[in-house]
Amino acid sequence: MGEHKAVILCVDDEQNPLTLRKLVLQKAGYEVVTANSGKEALELAASRRVDLVLSDHLMPGMHGTELAQQLKAEHPKLPVILISGVNELPPGSAIANAFVSKSEGPDALCKEVAAILNLPLETCEK
Amino acid sequence: MVDDQPGKLLSYEAILGPLHENLLKANSGREALEYLLKADIAVVLMDVSMPDIDGFQLADMIREHPRFQKTAIIFISAVHLSDVDRLKAYERGAVDYISVPVIPELLRAKVTVFAELYRKTQQLEGLNRELERRVAERTEELRESESQFRSLANSIPQLAWMTHPDGSIFWYNQRWYDYTGSTFEDVKGWAWKTLHHPDCLEEVIRKFQHCLATGEAWEDTFPLRGKDGNYRWFLSRALPIHDVNGKIVRWFGTNTDITDRKLAEEALIKSERLAAMGRLAGIIAHEINNPLEAISNAFYLLRDHPSLDEEARYYSKLAEEELARVAHITKQTLSFYRESQRAIPISLAEVLDNVIELQSRSLHVNSVALEKRFQTQGKIQGYPGELKQVFLNIIGNAVQAMPNGGRLRIGLRESTARKNGRRGMRVTVCDTGVGIRREHAKRLFEPFFSTKEAKGTGLGLWISRGIIQKYEGSIRFRSIVLAGKNTTCFSVFIPTTAATQPTEIAALVA
Repeated sequence: MGEHKAVILCVDDEQNPLTLRKLVLQKAGYEVVTANSGKEALELAASRRVDLVLSDHLMPGMHGTELAQQLKAEHPKLPVILISGVNELPPGSAIANAFVSKSEGPDALCKEVAAILNLPLETCEK
Repeated sequence: MVDDQPGKLLSYEAILGPLHENLLKANSGREALEYLLKADIAVVLMDVSMPDIDGFQLADMIREHPRFQKTAIIFISAVHLSDVDRLKAYERGAVDYISVPVIPELLRAKVTVFAELYRKTQQLEGLNRELERRVAERTEELRESESQFRSLANSIPQLAWMTHPDGSIFWYNQRWYDYTGSTFEDVKGWAWKTLHHPDCLEEVIRKFQHCLATGEAWEDTFPLRGKDGNYRWFLSRALPIHDVNGKIVRWFGTNTDITDRKLAEEALIKSERLAAMGRLAGIIAHEINNPLEAISNAFYLLRDHPSLDEEARYYSKLAEEELARVAHITKQTLSFYRESQRAIPISLAEVLDNVIELQSRSLHVNSVALEKRFQTQGKIQGYPGELKQVFLNIIGNAVQAMPNGGRLRIGLRESTARKNGRRGMRVTVCDTGVGIRREHAKRLFEPFFSTKEAKGTGLGLWISRGIIQKYEGSIRFRSIVLAGKNTTCFSVFIPTTAATQPTEIAALVA
């Protein structure tokens, strides 16, 4: 991918999962920026280039679905993936481009990200 | 006053005048009789010796008439021995005599006594007539209230009955007979015992006898057998009826059918239990999946980290494999409530494999041998979660029917519907377990019918049938119970074409 690494904005209120998710995605070849809340994520998305947002669903303050709604309102083309430990589809989650369960594991997550960014799957398997 | 001599009549009139009674004078027996027939006479005062009809003859004639049998008669006579004897013949009844010469005070006293007696008798007869009228009125009232009571007792939805103070029943309302199909002879006294469930009867009798002994109001809930042989639940109450002295004269009791209420309550508890299970599953999924994802990611990063030597990489790989098992389990069991929003192509073979995997532990514990015969990999349109639920119910039941081991055969093949020739898939699940009893067979798909006592919700097959019907498919079973050779087979047919909407489990339960 060279000079044009896709930029992923990772959002989660819990630090350890956020860091590990960032490392996995970096290993897969993406540039990753992080935010600890929906509010912070909106600020980041407004101030810099972001190609995809990967947000936890259950967060204090602003839920993932709410964040997805606001992002879509401001950046209609920006893809959003929701990730959650809850297995049920939360109401309103249809606004996101995809919904990934945390039990699916890192490979499934990478596949989902690659598919949404229209990148070949090999990106993940580096 | 009867005398053939007007002078005597006048003297009697003079003597009796001060009594202020109504005095009538007759010159002969014949005249006296005419008066008697026309007016109410209290006392007849007559001379014994009269021409034409003498006093005794007149008395006999008077006595013959029923109206005058008690009319008082006073004879006036010169005392002859023979007269005294004859007078004795009149001892019974109001008869007296007075001898000549007449002593005015004595005559007045005797007439006064008889006149008073007459008035008292008249009063008593009046009172008696009044009493008889009131008795007739009350009898009519009672008859009316009795008939009102009966029509009330027969119009209420409850079964009703009355007992003697000792508890033996002497009356039931019509509803009792309609529900139980019994006759009074079948259930009188204590014979109603035969309509009780043997498991509950002893306790029912104990409580009822306690109330009979103490006079406390009785209340109990128990099943009663109807004429169709099925038991329904009744809330039963009885109250003692006391007489004016507070003594119990009878008990009046009712039985109210609360079966539907009981079922609704149980259904509510069960649906709440299901909802709670769903919430719990969601919470557990969240709590396990969050750290699980982080750990999986950590091992993913560690997998080919340059600092790891061969041994460390081996340990890491083992840990990652075990972690995958945890992830697999949470995904399988906890994603049960997740459902796709659109019907998707589903491989029934995959769904069945999935269910078999969930049941693998039970299969192992129950020593059940599994025979799988999948003859197609074809797909149908549908929702994986609910189909998984259908086969989890059917296969789970089959495994539970074989606590002492057995053989489970699961088949999948392409098929056509017998009814309309529509193309689809048929899943057969056969077990060699305890079998389905004939009396259970027709109730198998009823909601809340369970043979697993407290362990079953009684909803599994009912929901399953609801789901399969939505696919316009069918679900059938056959159970052959032969000593040592039981076979129970469930056959589910699902057409290949898509179902339109996912089944709302909550709506089915409600």
